[in-house]
Amino acid sequence: MRLTSETIEDVLDLVFVHAERSIDLRDVRSIDVYALLLLDLVVRHARESGAPLRVTWPESPSVRRWMTAMHFFVDVKAGLAPRPGSQPTTLMPIVSIDREEDVSRLVGSFDARLSDRYPMDESPRRRFLRILLELFQNIPQHANATGDVLDPHGIAAMHDDGHSVVLAIADKGIGLARSLRLRPGSSEQADLAQADPEQASLKQTSLEQTSLSDADALRAVVFDGRSRFRDPGRGHELERIFRLVRSWEGTVVVRSGSALLFQSEAGGDVVDVAPFPGVQIALSIPRAVFGIGEAAFGEGGVEPRGDPGFNEGDEGNDV
Amino acid sequence: MKAMKATTFEISQFGRRLGTRLEGAAARRVLLAALDDLPPDGQLVLSLRGIDVLSGSFADEAIGKICQLLSSGIHGDRTLVVASPSADLVEDLSDKLAQRKLALLCRVGGTKGAWRVLGSLARPLVDTLELLNERGSATTKELAETLAILPNACHNRVRRLVRLRLVREEKIDVAAPHTQYRFHAIVE
Repeated sequence: MRLTSETIEDVLDLVFVHAERSIDLRDVRSIDVYALLLLDLVVRHARESGAPLRVTWPESPSVRRWMTAMHFFVDVKAGLAPRPGSQPTTLMPIVSIDREEDVSRLVGSFDARLSDRYPMDESPRRRFLRILLELFQNIPQHANATGDVLDPHGIAAMHDDGHSVVLAIADKGIGLARSLRLRPGSSEQADLAQADPEQASLKQTSLEQTSLSDADALRAVVFDGRSRFRDPGRGHELERIFRLVRSWEGTVVVRSGSALLFQSEAGGDVVDVAPFPGVQIALSIPRAVFGIGEAAFGEGGVEPRGDPGFNEGDEGNDV
Repeated sequence: MKAMKATTFEISQFGRRLGTRLEGAAARRVLLAALDDLPPDGQLVLSLRGIDVLSGSFADEAIGKICQLLSSGIHGDRTLVVASPSADLVEDLSDKLAQRKLALLCRVGGTKGAWRVLGSLARPLVDTLELLNERGSATTKELAETLAILPNACHNRVRRLVRLRLVREEKIDVAAPHTQYRFHAIVE
């Protein structure tokens, strides 16, 4: 079993549609970085909601070694730690994105990890860094724009699967639909304020719940470049980034609320998925774009080479 | 018209990797102070030398918003141009200016590099601007003759370029029934 951007939806479906409290990942032989980040947020969200999940972790040593190297168990506070001396082999483990002030430094660390490993071409490297800068700062700027999210928990990681460099960025903040509903002077808010100014703010909550679907919001942001700000300089970042990635013959996955968009060079559309807070994005960029040749095999969770990188058994634990 | 005074501002003083809106807003405050320090017809040359990455968000906050202010006229005849060592460095700046329906002249590739327009400028306006930049200065009538277009149409084009602070205007005959203007390139 592979845990990918597609199959992780089965996990979310179990937890958030069928209210299952245990997840059995024993047979997972590989996990992609997007699925790993989403799994991280699912575990956290369940715990914060007062109903922690019981997870049986993958039995494959290489998968668990990779998850450890990605700092997954540290981030979800699962109590699993690698043995001393085990070396992380991942391109970039999970990092937290909390403050806008830290974004440039974090992008610098991604740049350093990528440049240390590969002699990249300058132009695509610069374009990739601009993508990182825009996506990373979206989290402190938008994930908790309403101020009512306890911890949006913005995270990012990067992985080389042998064919592509895959960047994943995820949070469990307010998501795109709630963000767009904050747009000042939107026709909805303007109509409401004109009709009944005193009640406008009170009615905003109920309006938010009914006026804009997750799928509509996702399309508006990705295809029309909409933003919660009226300033004409705002918005269009995701639209531009996704266009660039597609021009590189890469693929894009973006998920927000109950909507998911998969885009490749051939196009793509929005589909309904199990509802989950925040925004989660994966960009898969062919290694050739960076002037890197194809590898014999990927770095994470693909080849079952035994590596006892763990000091825990295979028992599930509550996380 | 006397030659304008150009002052170079090295944006690398804010770092090699210019990324967030927060950083861009801080840079804008410094840039606006530098703009205010210029003489009324001065020009700020924003040098991107030494920059590794310029994101769209930083560029919009630091440069796009200043272009918006310049086009509103509150900084008088002061102008802003960009000097970039490479074309890919200003890609996102150009996109952000286009979002704001603004334009900026940028010299790409060192002191002998070519000037190009960043942002959004319709082809006829680009043609008019390039002609004026080539000549250095001209009246609407002279430009219209060369471009083979109606003087009124040419006047509208040049007025738009003046509003965008891509060219300068000079009153040359205020005694005539309609004030006459001569238009000047802001780059050499």
